[in-house]
Amino acid sequence: MNLYDMIVKKIKDIQEADEDPVTNLSTTSMLTAEITLIASVLVALVMLRHLSNILMIVAVLVVLVVFLTSMPIMGRLRKEQNDSLSSMMFYIIIALTIVITLFYWGNLNV
Amino acid sequence: MVIVPILCALFLNLLHKKDRAIKAVTIILALALPALPLLANYGFHYFGGYEPLLQNPTLSSNLPSFITGGVLSTFHPAITYSFQSAQQLFVFILGLVGLLALFTSVYETRRPSGVYAYMLFMGIAAMTAILLTDDIFNLYVFFEIAALATVGIVLVSNIKGNYETALKYMILGSVAAPLLLLGIALLLGVTGNVNITDIIYSLKTGMVDPQNPVLLMACGLIVFGWLYGSGLPPFHTIKSAIYSKALPSGSAMIQAFSVFTFIALGIVILRIFSYLPLSQWVILGVSLLAMILGITMAIVQTDIKRMIGFLAVGELGYIGIGLGLGTAFGITAGLFQAVNEVMITALLFIGFGVVLYQTGVSDTRKLGGLMFRNPGVALLVLLGGFAMAGVPPLNAFQSKLMLIQASIDAGFPELGVIMILLSIVTFMTFMKAFHTVYLRPKPADLEIKTETIPKATVISIVVLLVVCIIFGLFPHYVTSYLQPLATSLAGGVA
Repeated sequence: MNLYDMIVKKIKDIQEADEDPVTNLSTTSMLTAEITLIASVLVALVMLRHLSNILMIVAVLVVLVVFLTSMPIMGRLRKEQNDSLSSMMFYIIIALTIVITLFYWGNLNV
Repeated sequence: MVIVPILCALFLNLLHKKDRAIKAVTIILALALPALPLLANYGFHYFGGYEPLLQNPTLSSNLPSFITGGVLSTFHPAITYSFQSAQQLFVFILGLVGLLALFTSVYETRRPSGVYAYMLFMGIAAMTAILLTDDIFNLYVFFEIAALATVGIVLVSNIKGNYETALKYMILGSVAAPLLLLGIALLLGVTGNVNITDIIYSLKTGMVDPQNPVLLMACGLIVFGWLYGSGLPPFHTIKSAIYSKALPSGSAMIQAFSVFTFIALGIVILRIFSYLPLSQWVILGVSLLAMILGITMAIVQTDIKRMIGFLAVGELGYIGIGLGLGTAFGITAGLFQAVNEVMITALLFIGFGVVLYQTGVSDTRKLGGLMFRNPGVALLVLLGGFAMAGVPPLNAFQSKLMLIQASIDAGFPELGVIMILLSIVTFMTFMKAFHTVYLRPKPADLEIKTETIPKATVISIVVLLVVCIIFGLFPHYVTSYLQPLATSLAGGVA
């Protein structure tokens, strides 16, 4: 089994049975999105150097290992970002918690 | 600029079911939208009160000295609207997109709807007020009117699933908008003011402790409202769904509402809370997330409108990067990107709307071969896609280049790398959609209407493209309108 077939198999495993068939176009799109996501997050983490170089190195290595062990991420991410009201509400509450925590405790204690 | 679109909206609503009259009146009234900001004078306008006593010697001469001699004389008792060069450009672009959306909508639909035109005009009026007002509570009122107009635009679209999406948007709005109002109420409680200039004055002169925990909470809640209003994560999913359930002209307008809400509230956050270093980091973080999530989600979409919707969310991230950098050059670049994005995304929604008009299908897996049917429109859409991806000499190339330069100057070259990477992926996403819709062979079961494309649609696309090219060739002309605002936001730091 070559690398492309492995990727297609993995995407099929993540997608549910009732979803659309996996085509060349969808696989290529998914692969591009996957590489873009990983590359962008890793480059963004390099900005942590403004806080601490050690923190930046640790964060990049940890996230790289997490990404490599849980690939493909994009399939799961797409599935997670669906139009279900309950899932949207869940992420909204999470975001509200993060924003308030950051502003309230972040500004008082940093 | 606010009252005229409201009057237009009310008048058109009265003409319900009088098709011919609606068509003619809509076009005549819509022509006023881009003309008004060009005719209006710069300055401050006061509603429901007077200018500050300091500027009104006649009034202050009759008042006791403990009022005129103190800080009260500097406060704004009226709802204050500020109209300067940046606002003129924003309201002009909003009016232009509004005119073209209304123009397209009356010719693309068999029976023009007075209610639909009412929603578009009300949304434009609300957005103009949001851009002009210096009063944060007044901003909230029009923020809600814009949200209702958005829901109305989706409800009247008659697209499958529109009711469900509109209801979800309203439910999520009923969570987020009251929290924004709570943030404003906390701000009022701490500073005793809703006028933004007065709030800043209270903070700068030490009348209010800037580290007051209630103030920090207010900042968090206003930032959360900003995420909702502009469709940033985690609201990007519902926002892209909203775009996909509106008519192309409606989608073009809704995305303009999102972009202008983004910059209006972003400017408010920067003006009031820029003394908190975390506020800029949060703007940068959220913008990065919007860029990465928006563009990676766009490439895996199979629905054209959903794809453009996610790309629009990703492009918001570019604007946010400019604002978050906090330098005058960065903010100018971000605001320039906002102006460009409004026009390019409107062009793409209206351009791909032609596909919907002719086939009734937006699923790229069921489309193909449309290049032979309308090569002219295909070329215009292709150029629009190039503009979005930042291909020279189009407008987004100039704004993205400025953003990259600004990020390097500010000591964040990583942001420049990410912006280049995501622009390449945007280009790829667009080319994938273009190939599936226009270039590959037509599927056997795809039915294409024999009706010709309305000339109004083609004219709208051409006008938007011409403006994109002009802005791309003469960026300094546009940025000269934005620089005064950007410099004041950056506190005079270049």
